[in-house]
Amino acid sequence: MSEFFGPLDSEGRVPARQQTRVAAFLVSAHGALARRFAFALPVKLESAWQTELNAQFYNESEIVSLLMRATSWAPDFALAYMAAAWEAAWFPTPVEGIPDHSLALAVDLATLAHAVHAGIRPAALLPTEANADDPFVVALRRIEFESGRLLQAQILFLKGESLVPHRDAVTAALERRHADVRRLWREMLQSVDISARDANDGKP
Amino acid sequence: MPFLTHGSYRIRYELDGPADAPAYVLVNGLTQYAELWTAYRDALVARRFRVATFDLLGQGASDKPTLFIDQDDQVEALRLLIDELGDGPVFLSGISFGGLIALRYAIAHGTRLAGLVPMSCFAELPPQLFLLGNALRNALVLGGTSYLQDLLLPMNVSDQWLGPVLDKLDQVKRQGWLVNDVYALQNLMESFLDFQPLTPQLSSITTPTMILNGEFDFLTPRALHETLRVQIPDSSLVIIPRAYHAFTLEKPALTADLLARFAEDVMAGRWQGNKAVWIAPDDAGGALIPFPSGFDHLRAIPVQGATP
Repeated sequence: MSEFFGPLDSEGRVPARQQTRVAAFLVSAHGALARRFAFALPVKLESAWQTELNAQFYNESEIVSLLMRATSWAPDFALAYMAAAWEAAWFPTPVEGIPDHSLALAVDLATLAHAVHAGIRPAALLPTEANADDPFVVALRRIEFESGRLLQAQILFLKGESLVPHRDAVTAALERRHADVRRLWREMLQSVDISARDANDGKP
Repeated sequence: MPFLTHGSYRIRYELDGPADAPAYVLVNGLTQYAELWTAYRDALVARRFRVATFDLLGQGASDKPTLFIDQDDQVEALRLLIDELGDGPVFLSGISFGGLIALRYAIAHGTRLAGLVPMSCFAELPPQLFLLGNALRNALVLGGTSYLQDLLLPMNVSDQWLGPVLDKLDQVKRQGWLVNDVYALQNLMESFLDFQPLTPQLSSITTPTMILNGEFDFLTPRALHETLRVQIPDSSLVIIPRAYHAFTLEKPALTADLLARFAEDVMAGRWQGNKAVWIAPDDAGGALIPFPSGFDHLRAIPVQGATP
């Protein structure tokens, strides 16, 4: 088992089986974020911070669209039950310890987005010999790059003044979300013969 | 791969060399990882030292706290590591951010140390460093780890080091990019948001201290090291010729030799700090020479120093 995609074909492309699983996971995760940001986005913006909701919604949608078009999809019957497990993991779960229900849901969304944007690094799976002109390769690099920027909204919110009284609850929820997302990502990668390299994966 | 446990976090570390030998503990800079000390491990073990390296919280194979990394936790991780080393002499050295963590350890637990070597280090954040730090953080936020590396490399090493690798910089950057995550680096950088200067506490460091500063280090220039020299009673400042901020990467043989000689001098009772200023040799094994008397070591041109 390698830490990277492969073996690549003669043109430096990632095997379609690996492309399919990885893209399906990312579509599921970013698609869930797009849906949740869409629900949170008002028709008429009333606060400055809501402009970020608009940006997050369209960026998540762009990632889904990009993957749908850049991936060399292969038939994969196991995806049905894997996707069901992934989708269940993205369900809204109000963060415990925050009495305000709407705030608890907002924190839950932010922790999920933080875990996906910070904890999932698809470009780090690309070996150095991957074809830099292949759409799937470029898509993964773009997703990882954009995730780093999208992440800033979650960091600002989760570290913000409004959540200082709930710092322990927020930190615990975020650590839990990271662990859950990393576990699903690791299991999916192992199913296509890629070993995870995240040190935090070994945490009890 | 052994781990220390601090709360719910794990800290990856490595010990090399004889268990009964005096120990050197080496602390990484901000974007570094323990393997970058390999040349030091080899050189110091060959000179009969035990060498301890580790990844700070948020780095490499250590755990990466998701939202906050407190510098006190880094000092505690370092304490746990040093506690692993038994009762023998311990020499502590760190580069840049790691030098700051080493300083904080020395302030809190200085009696445990036989010697301290802060390298490319600082105890306060004057406007230039504060603004540079902010700009580097923004670079990380806007352009990711790779962009941060693009800025740090030309700032921190010389043309002589960069020239031969200019057409393979992606390879040079790749391992650092792989093991460092944007959010973890950002958390490390944001651990400075409530930073308080250490200067008032430096005088409590009574352990022998050799301060290493690259001649051309403009990220943490001479004046920042001068604060350490003036405040730490048993210290000397050693200027590394033609070196930049990351001279530990560029001149490992020379730097490892200086570390070993410092520890040997301390253990043999030969060390005398005297707040002296020295110029290191160009190569390992060469003689250190005193900074010319009467000239100002804080200037880049030969200006007569003020009479003490």
